[in-house]
Amino acid sequence: MVKRQSNFCGRTRREFIWQAGAGFGGAALASMLSGDGFFDPANAAENTYKNPLAAKPPHFAPKAKSVIFLFMYGGPSHIDTFDRKPAMKGMDGKTVDVKTFGRGGHRSRGRIVEPRWNFKQYGECGKYVSDLFPNVAEHVDDIAFLHSMTADSPIHGSAMLMMNSGRILSGSPALGSWVTYGLGSENENLPGFVVMLDPSGGPISGAKNWSSGYMPATYQGTVFRSEGAPILNLDPPGDLPEGVQRQLIDSIQNANRRHLVSRESNDDLASRIASYELAYKMQTTAPEAVDLSTEDERTLEMYGVNQDRTRDFGTRCLMARRLVQRGVRFIQLYSGGAHNDANWDAHGDLEVNHNKHAGNTDQPIAALLKDLKQRGMLDETLVVWGGEFGRQPTAEYAKGSGRDHNSYGFTMWMAGGGIKGGVSHGTTDELGSQAVENPLEVKHLHATILQQLGLDPNHLAYFYSGLDQKLVGVESVEPIHDIIA
Amino acid sequence: MKFYSRVFLAICLAGSASLACSTAIAQSASTKVDFIKQVQPILAKRCYACHGPDEAESGLRFDQQASVFGEAESGEHPVVAGDIDASELVARIKSVDEFERMPPEGDPVTPEEIEVLSNWIEQGAEWDIHWAFKPMQAAEPPEVDDPAWGQNPIDAFIYDGLQRVGLQPNPPADRRELIRRAFYDLTGLPPTAEQVDRFVNDSDPLSFEKLINEQLESHHYGERWGRHWLDLVRYAETNSYERDGPKPNAWKYRDYVIRSFNDDKPYDQFLQEQLAGDELDEVTPETLTATGYYRLGIWDDEPADPLLARYDELDDIIMTTGQAMLGLTINCARCHDHKIDPIPQSDYYSLLAMMADVTSWGTRGDQRSNNQIDVTSDELRQKYQANDEQRRKLEADMREIEQTGIAKMSAPDQRATEGPKRERERVLKKKLKDNLDDEMWEQYQAVQKELAEVVQQGKELPPRETVMGLAKTIAQPKQTFVLFRGNPHSPADPVEPRFPTIFETEAPTSFPEMEGSAGRRRVLAEWMTSSDNRLTARVIANRVWQFHFGRGIVRSSNNFGLLGTPPTHPELLDWLAQRLIEDGWKLKSLHRLIMTSRAYQMSSAGQQKGLSQDPNNETFWRFDPRRLSAEEVRDSLLAINGSLNRKAYGPSIYPKLSREVLAGQSRPGSGWGNSSEQDRNRRSVYIHVKRSLLTPLLTAFDFPDPDLTCEDRFDTLQPGQALSLLNSEFIHEQAKRVAALIGVTDKDDLEPNEIVTRCIAAVLGREATSDEIADGKQLIEDLVNRRNLSRQRAAELYCLTVLNWNEFLFVD
Repeated sequence: MVKRQSNFCGRTRREFIWQAGAGFGGAALASMLSGDGFFDPANAAENTYKNPLAAKPPHFAPKAKSVIFLFMYGGPSHIDTFDRKPAMKGMDGKTVDVKTFGRGGHRSRGRIVEPRWNFKQYGECGKYVSDLFPNVAEHVDDIAFLHSMTADSPIHGSAMLMMNSGRILSGSPALGSWVTYGLGSENENLPGFVVMLDPSGGPISGAKNWSSGYMPATYQGTVFRSEGAPILNLDPPGDLPEGVQRQLIDSIQNANRRHLVSRESNDDLASRIASYELAYKMQTTAPEAVDLSTEDERTLEMYGVNQDRTRDFGTRCLMARRLVQRGVRFIQLYSGGAHNDANWDAHGDLEVNHNKHAGNTDQPIAALLKDLKQRGMLDETLVVWGGEFGRQPTAEYAKGSGRDHNSYGFTMWMAGGGIKGGVSHGTTDELGSQAVENPLEVKHLHATILQQLGLDPNHLAYFYSGLDQKLVGVESVEPIHDIIA
Repeated sequence: MKFYSRVFLAICLAGSASLACSTAIAQSASTKVDFIKQVQPILAKRCYACHGPDEAESGLRFDQQASVFGEAESGEHPVVAGDIDASELVARIKSVDEFERMPPEGDPVTPEEIEVLSNWIEQGAEWDIHWAFKPMQAAEPPEVDDPAWGQNPIDAFIYDGLQRVGLQPNPPADRRELIRRAFYDLTGLPPTAEQVDRFVNDSDPLSFEKLINEQLESHHYGERWGRHWLDLVRYAETNSYERDGPKPNAWKYRDYVIRSFNDDKPYDQFLQEQLAGDELDEVTPETLTATGYYRLGIWDDEPADPLLARYDELDDIIMTTGQAMLGLTINCARCHDHKIDPIPQSDYYSLLAMMADVTSWGTRGDQRSNNQIDVTSDELRQKYQANDEQRRKLEADMREIEQTGIAKMSAPDQRATEGPKRERERVLKKKLKDNLDDEMWEQYQAVQKELAEVVQQGKELPPRETVMGLAKTIAQPKQTFVLFRGNPHSPADPVEPRFPTIFETEAPTSFPEMEGSAGRRRVLAEWMTSSDNRLTARVIANRVWQFHFGRGIVRSSNNFGLLGTPPTHPELLDWLAQRLIEDGWKLKSLHRLIMTSRAYQMSSAGQQKGLSQDPNNETFWRFDPRRLSAEEVRDSLLAINGSLNRKAYGPSIYPKLSREVLAGQSRPGSGWGNSSEQDRNRRSVYIHVKRSLLTPLLTAFDFPDPDLTCEDRFDTLQPGQALSLLNSEFIHEQAKRVAALIGVTDKDDLEPNEIVTRCIAAVLGREATSDEIADGKQLIEDLVNRRNLSRQRAAELYCLTVLNWNEFLFVD
């Protein structure tokens, strides 16, 4: 008969401003307004304002509190990194029958490009890792490799959307949006979903990759920069002396409190007052979160912050660790940006491309794993590594070592956050051309991430367009149980 | 009986946990059970999983009347009206035998639910269909005891509803509030201080009607209300994906929408033009522009599965058409029968067949032919044609002479002239003259000169005009099939073009002959806009109400199905819908009717009884206050400082985006143009909508993602908004302009209290209070004395604070 106010396909308008049922109404406010007629915004409003990003209880006890997604944009070659193919030894240049589908379309034959790097065994598990990742290799006992990943598209645009939002169609919320929608942020003064881009530029489709789609923009990824003010519009203009921003906010709040009198029943007015306090706090919290000056020299050294090659990715990995420490839920780091060889998209010279990108990231990633572990944070932090697809075993062109895209089989890995270490799940065929054993889809990866965060992938739903939309799709999906500790 | 239901409503309103009320089921046997509200949800929740649209175990489906009352495979009748004992349903849900009891898994049906089902059967087991799927009901405005609330039929409905729950409507808003409300509502812009004063002091009883009429005549009306439509049809000017390529001339569709609202184009015509503007009796550039409707969606230029991509594109159109025009989530029936609404999968594909002649946006190699229509005037077209013919003739003449010369050339040279154009020209330039006699050479030169002139004339012709729309359609579409699980590679049963079965309209038997298209969309458009269509008028009447009052009578305005929210005032909705049709589908008449109601003009103030009984304002005891929309925020900032460029229509504009925003692109700045300052000051509706690069200020204030239809924007209040209104380059520029407008200069000749008074007058259109003057003066003086800022800068910062006030950002 009477329903809650619910304009948005059954979602409530205030769901995004207030936690359901917990908003404060006229009565609560009236009592706050007692006494001298006003309340202290620094206390009262904050205490009652419900930040849309306030932490929410998970569906069940989580293994991981945060996710760091190391996105190797462009598509790293699995057979040159973590998926060893000894049968390809000596086959370089041979033409074989193999079905491939990439930028160049469907093909059924191709010239083998033998993996260009040597593989060595590491750790107790004896995992083979190529010389591209000698430092990450030291941590194989903490890593679960997913060798049988597949995706619906071998084309960057749609494949990026697939890996980031579960669908090849543009318009759905990103994984990070789902996580913040499901769990909020542990730290209300920081965004729940942070994206850090490669200095060479954003990935193709730009902001579409961290869009919140049909959800409110509250859940979209916030781009953090590693230089200057980390967040857009965070800093007041340079000519304002310190303290002026607070003064301006105080003046605004005074006026807003006067305006509130006789309008106590409009919750939104009080919420907006509170949002200014939150913005103010963010101005100190965010820069502090990414300020590396308090890190000791050893740490900076470990992440490679002092070396040209690794400075950028190392800095961002270290920032990611600091953000996790401050309760940020989902952090996505892009290795590679822009186009062509500025990312892992090795169509031309495979060796030049992968030496560059692996060289820029190997030490920082290893440092991140080591640092998280020694601080006891790896148990609660899920680290995910991979690109939107892998690469083909054969050459793209008549000459050269460049490989085209491969979504029929590729490797991703996960570490920490309740994931078993030293295991490899699924396989590709002898050439790495396609997944054969235990093939996995992107939704399985997503389901596993949600599961470790304490969210039931088949129940984390958002009503839109007449449907309970889910990150993993309408049909029930199991997480990858074999790699869950 | 009515008495009971009224009491029930009152209890519901009094309770804060109103959700529990909506599913409340406990009641006495004497109360009439409502099939839709009480019985159907139980059946859906408890039975559909095995006996429903997906599976019909034992041949039984609880979503179908015939099956529920018929004989099941077991020989039993699930429900026998009036006879509980004969109804197997009741026996099974009550059974204690675990092999007998239904449902076999999960919790047993609760005693309350059993009681509802039993009472329903006892009372005759009336089967009903969902309100929205029934024809519109004739509704008379109720008689009310307060004559003031009986004049406008809308008020009679609202007042009657309030009376039933013992609430009183709020008193009228004061005139200052009212003019601001009406201005923002109709134009999205604030009134000027003079307009406010004039209205406040206007004692003419018709002054408000006058104001409404004036604003409805302003072109800003179409800019505001057209934008509502653009949200619904997910308007954007690029395709998304890797290249996010442009949709040329998309802005002409945007202008078409704005113009249609400004011209008060009847809504039925508006829909017909968009759905079938290429198939109408009179096809004009305008109606062709309207078919841009089909070209607004996302498009992948490099799809991994082209056939799937084609169906995704059509699905996008069906989803948008179904929800925006019919309030139906037909899209849910793409892969299987709709889980909740009575929409079988075959309905989806039958509707798809109605639009099967719609071509894809394009191919990677040709992104224009399908979507760019040449609408050049006949006169100009003829000029182009004449010019073409002249050019071709001269070219032929030249070639003839050339060939004469070539025939005399050496074999290798002759061969070279048959090769690439460049080669041919090289040889001709070098050797033609020597191989022609003087007369021919002169003749050749004359023709050459003439050709150059003709080419030049061609270049000087005004450009051909193209619009975005259905440039190509498929004259004879292939047979449409139901796709097994929505998979285009698994066609199942063939289907014919027809309308969804819930509408109970005859399937069309023939389609008009059309040149180049299938004639089906015209039939679809006519059906959709016929006066007895059960949803079209209701859906648009509800939307108009929603945009005036902040929420629809049906809150889920894109979903009138079973999962939508039921109407709070069903009779009013049907009355409005029918009134709209009677008024020739003219939206401006509906605006006038609604805005002249007392309901619209009520104060937004709180009221103890209303707040405690009906905090969500289900009954409209007050007018809901609201935050400004994204466009209103930006446009108001420009308007109050006098810099708003009020020019209407035309190509889109590009506001300045900061370097860090552009850094998110793989090619920073790509696809983003430069606009002159004057253009940058135009209204937000003219900002270029690039799918992968939305304007941050607008997004912060809930501008919707343009990939999917948006029925109602969010109203978030988040710190990002505060940061953009405190620190962005844009806001500081606007604050500076306010300061300049009120006479602040670097000469420091304006006293602080004067700055405050003038600023408040400019921004809020009212006098400053003494508290405000004291506060503002203190702030400005402190910024000057303690922070060492110039008086001018301090004044700018003061203006900036006022631009952040709730009073500026909210409408009472």
